[in-house]
Amino acid sequence: MAESTATPVGSIPRIAIIGNPNVGKSTIFNYLTGLNQKIGNYPGVTVDKKIGFFQVKGEHFEILDLPGTYSLFPNSEDEIIAHRVLNNAELEQRPDYVLMVIDSTQLSRGLFLATQLIDLGINLAILLNMADVAADKKIEIRTFTLFKQLGVPILQTDARNQKGLEPLKELIQQRNFSKAAHFVDILEVIPAELLQRVRERFDLENNYQAYQMIRFGARDKAMPEASRLWLTQLLEESGFNLEEAQLEETKIRYKKITDLVTKALFKKTAPKPKSSLDKVVLHPFFGYLVFIGVLLLIFQTLFSLASYPMDWIDGFFADVSRLVLTTFPDGPLTRLLAEGVVPGIGGVVIFIPQIALLFGFLAILEDTGYMSRVVFLLDRWMRPFGLHGKSIVPLVSGVACAIPGVMAARNISNWKEKMITILVTPLMSCSARLPVYIILIGLSVPEEQVVGFINLQALALLSLYLLGVLGVLGTAFLLKVILKTEEKSFLLTELPSYRIPRWKDVGFTMVEKSKTFVFEAGKVILAISVVLWVLASYGPPTAMEEIRQQGVVQQQQASSPEQVAIIAAETNSLLLENSFIGIMGRAIEPAIQPLGYDWKIGIALITSFAAREVFISTMVTIYSIGGDVKDDLTIREKLASQVNASTGEKTFTPATSYSLLVFYVFAMQCMSTLAVVKRETKGWTWPIVQTLYMSALAYLMAFLTYQLFS
Amino acid sequence: MTADQLPLNETGKILEILSSPLKINLMELGFLPGKYLTLQHKAPSGGPLAFQLEESLLALRQNEAALIRIEPIA
Repeated sequence: MAESTATPVGSIPRIAIIGNPNVGKSTIFNYLTGLNQKIGNYPGVTVDKKIGFFQVKGEHFEILDLPGTYSLFPNSEDEIIAHRVLNNAELEQRPDYVLMVIDSTQLSRGLFLATQLIDLGINLAILLNMADVAADKKIEIRTFTLFKQLGVPILQTDARNQKGLEPLKELIQQRNFSKAAHFVDILEVIPAELLQRVRERFDLENNYQAYQMIRFGARDKAMPEASRLWLTQLLEESGFNLEEAQLEETKIRYKKITDLVTKALFKKTAPKPKSSLDKVVLHPFFGYLVFIGVLLLIFQTLFSLASYPMDWIDGFFADVSRLVLTTFPDGPLTRLLAEGVVPGIGGVVIFIPQIALLFGFLAILEDTGYMSRVVFLLDRWMRPFGLHGKSIVPLVSGVACAIPGVMAARNISNWKEKMITILVTPLMSCSARLPVYIILIGLSVPEEQVVGFINLQALALLSLYLLGVLGVLGTAFLLKVILKTEEKSFLLTELPSYRIPRWKDVGFTMVEKSKTFVFEAGKVILAISVVLWVLASYGPPTAMEEIRQQGVVQQQQASSPEQVAIIAAETNSLLLENSFIGIMGRAIEPAIQPLGYDWKIGIALITSFAAREVFISTMVTIYSIGGDVKDDLTIREKLASQVNASTGEKTFTPATSYSLLVFYVFAMQCMSTLAVVKRETKGWTWPIVQTLYMSALAYLMAFLTYQLFS
Repeated sequence: MTADQLPLNETGKILEILSSPLKINLMELGFLPGKYLTLQHKAPSGGPLAFQLEESLLALRQNEAALIRIEPIA
């Protein structure tokens, strides 16, 4: 058999793409891999692992998109990943080749990371991207000079306009990457003996790898405990000052880079003047007006656009349920499928339009460069509440839906600020609360004008939204006092030049985020829906059977089709009352009585744990309303006429309605959000904490409201 | 003086970055001795500052800007 040096079958060459934030890495990744991508997880962190596949002339490559980073000194989770992958830290397979993307207008900053990669002994090629912007700014880079000094292949590209990407494909196909001699000699800042010991212990190729291991190995929680301990001890023994070494390295590196850039970069312009757009957008007064305008525009579009696909999805799954019921023979399995599983899947899919659209808007704001300007404007106002300027994105998203909001919180690098943001985002009144608000306000607030033109009902609705915001600020403030961290909060961010969004990348983000939601959170949501369905459909068998029999008998005696329908609705209502959930509703009655609720409302509270809007369909069943569920007026009239069985008074007094409204403002009644929080915090602790504190808050506030008005 | 004390639209030359855990982060972003920065925007009520540093506009909080020692340029 002939010896082969080719890559063994089944393992294709891996290429990692790395670069500073906002240099067009994702555009290049999307260009190379198309939709042939998948998202995985790195152990111990919330950063998504983006992998794609690329094929050129029959050869296959695996492409790994690393999170944006300025250096190999990890400060955030994103940067720890870059460090871990490139330093071959046992857990991650090291890529065969690395493609470093540099913003041509930020050459020195990009070279900082690039030369660190060279020192790590990585098989590297450099892309000088955004050549168009550089040309506009009259910056000329002599790539040959750079190539001679660095010793790795260099390409110029303009990924946004798809220029220079063919040569990139060729470069990859020919595996035209190279390992260069070190750029900075790390022996200048750290003793050889120390490096040698680390190299032997971890079997490392060169000194810079050893230095990186000393610097960060002990802090990487994914490293084996023994290795971390060994490193910590080694450092203590040697008494070596790492902070100093790192600063020294940074100085030496920048000095050499500055020398190199002086030779390789040619610039014809005077210092950049202030952008006229920024004069308005970052204005201490008009900046905020612009922000509010942008928000209004987004929500206007979001609500008007998302409602159509949501109605289609709703109708589609209702049709599927009906089809299942009519196609298969009646039985527990058919009903589980038609009433548990299908609506469960529908309950996941229904969120996709909002999630996709919201992430589309966020991607546009991010890509144009506007988002970091919002962070700049809002940071000062978020900090007193333990939040970061970046928390504004999750909170604003929360008005539409908490799910994309919680998912957007991962951009916050400080642990404490991120946790607070995730914990309070569901207190923003999301769109699922709106139907509940509208029904209950219609029931309890008179449709009158005050002060001439203000509609009292609209005022009530606005108050509920503001109450949510107050809840966010108050809770965030409390959490700020309770949660502890040693991490320092900071805001060091670039306000990138304004650009036209890359529509293709916006599309990718929308698809990717929806996929993540459906596959990760969908499983939990589906499971809980099925459990709730079982609890609502089954009860003690003899009692349930009796009710069913009675219903059949009564229907036979009925004289008109209308009467049959009424009896059917009443039977359903009785069945629900006697089901396991009904029993639970009765069981919690003593607990909810102080809030002004009877056990029927208790049942609705339990079922709407799945999702808030379920409140309405439960009310419809339990008060045997029947007919068209969409008809608000019917529901309202029916609810208004309900009489409390034990007191003989009206069930929905203003006090009870207000108390319920307040309860819905604060309560955690959305398992989809919980599933996403579980995913983002990597465990059940925080979703449980969140459910408990929100339920307690909802209970307390509803109690106070009821006592105040009754 | 330090960069947070720079009046709006004025330029300063960076003399040194004071010691702090954020020193490296500042240097990574390009705040290096010898470079010039111009204060272009101030968020109201003690909010962040935006400096033009060569080709980029960078936002910092005031206490972070206080880590950059500068010499004002007339």
